[in-house]
Amino acid sequence: MTSALSAEQPTGDSGYQHLVPLFAEFADLAADDPRRTVLRDKLVEGHLPVARHIARRFAHRGEPLDDLEQVATLGLINAVDRFEPDRGVDFLSYAVPTITGEVRRHFRDQGWAMRVPRRLKDLHVTLSAAMTELSQLLGRAPTATELATHLSLPRDEVVEGLEAANAYRGKSLDSLLVDEDSNSGTLGDAIGSADGELERVEYRESLQPLLAALPERERTILMLRFFANMTQTQIAEQVGISQMHVSRLLAQTLASLRDRLADG
Amino acid sequence: MTGYNFLRSVNEATAPAGQAEVYIEVGALPAQVAPLRVVTADLAARADFDLDAVADLRMAVDEACSTLATLAVPDARMQCLVRVDTERITVTVRIPSPRIAVISQDTFGWRVLATLADKVEILGNDVADPPSLGIRLVKERQVGVA
Repeated sequence: MTSALSAEQPTGDSGYQHLVPLFAEFADLAADDPRRTVLRDKLVEGHLPVARHIARRFAHRGEPLDDLEQVATLGLINAVDRFEPDRGVDFLSYAVPTITGEVRRHFRDQGWAMRVPRRLKDLHVTLSAAMTELSQLLGRAPTATELATHLSLPRDEVVEGLEAANAYRGKSLDSLLVDEDSNSGTLGDAIGSADGELERVEYRESLQPLLAALPERERTILMLRFFANMTQTQIAEQVGISQMHVSRLLAQTLASLRDRLADG
Repeated sequence: MTGYNFLRSVNEATAPAGQAEVYIEVGALPAQVAPLRVVTADLAARADFDLDAVADLRMAVDEACSTLATLAVPDARMQCLVRVDTERITVTVRIPSPRIAVISQDTFGWRVLATLADKVEILGNDVADPPSLGIRLVKERQVGVA
């Protein structure tokens, strides 16, 4: 056996051989048997080098190794809990894909279009929340200096963080900041007058089907910005998402409309 | 066309002291617009324009450059000058335009530009030799923002 795993472990598979009988013992114990916890810990700890090895394979992809090892260990715990020794498959054949899958899922869930350092991702959440707070205080969007002062951060770091926010495409972070059901009655009025303004644009025959095909929230944001002349901060408050999120959705919607209008 | 700077030729590229000015040239292709919008947004954020204005400028540059890119001849270069004054940011984008090209002002694209910028101008064929076509955007600093 010359797999990467056995190369890691000078003793080869035998490094884990002494653990094999424990699985049968573990599977035979009743769910509430206190010895289960002891055995489970032994099995997880004994196989930790496997989890660490897999985590290291995913290092240098923008996620800290500590985080990856934690996620891989979670995958290992799941594998120990779900492994059925009487199926005739050995534990490693079952555990390696389970752990790898867990680490892959971790990357997928991050939702960033580019590899962005963790520090900047954390900053994204901080900045987005601070923008909302300051906007309410000031009655307009803050400046980079105002954000930096408010957060006691160097201004360069804030500007860097704002740039990184434009690389972000996912939903998970934005959804943390969403205030559900905050659509107010005035939103309908604003959209009504925006529809009237739309009549003044030439080629609306080609634009209208494209607008109709947009998801409702994207269409609403677009109409409010370009036909009701609301600022992004005002729209953010009306629609109940962050200004950064409005900004990203608008830029993406404009780009896709431009492509489609050019095609038509 | 290479080596000819339309912006400098019409004396748009000499900044008085206290003004920041950045000149960028890229291929006149939609795919090459990204650095122009990133630089403009960065300059606006550092000049402490409020972040709505920064986001507006980013999208306006995207729209203006994309419009010009569709009108450019193959292999044309796009020249972009961003000037930051105390009160406003002015972005001028030009492409060489040997033929008479028209930028329609009744379109959705123009509506987008006019909403995002405080002032939009079409720079016609008459301001430079060799002929060029351009768009100039002005974003004013909002009253009440330091």
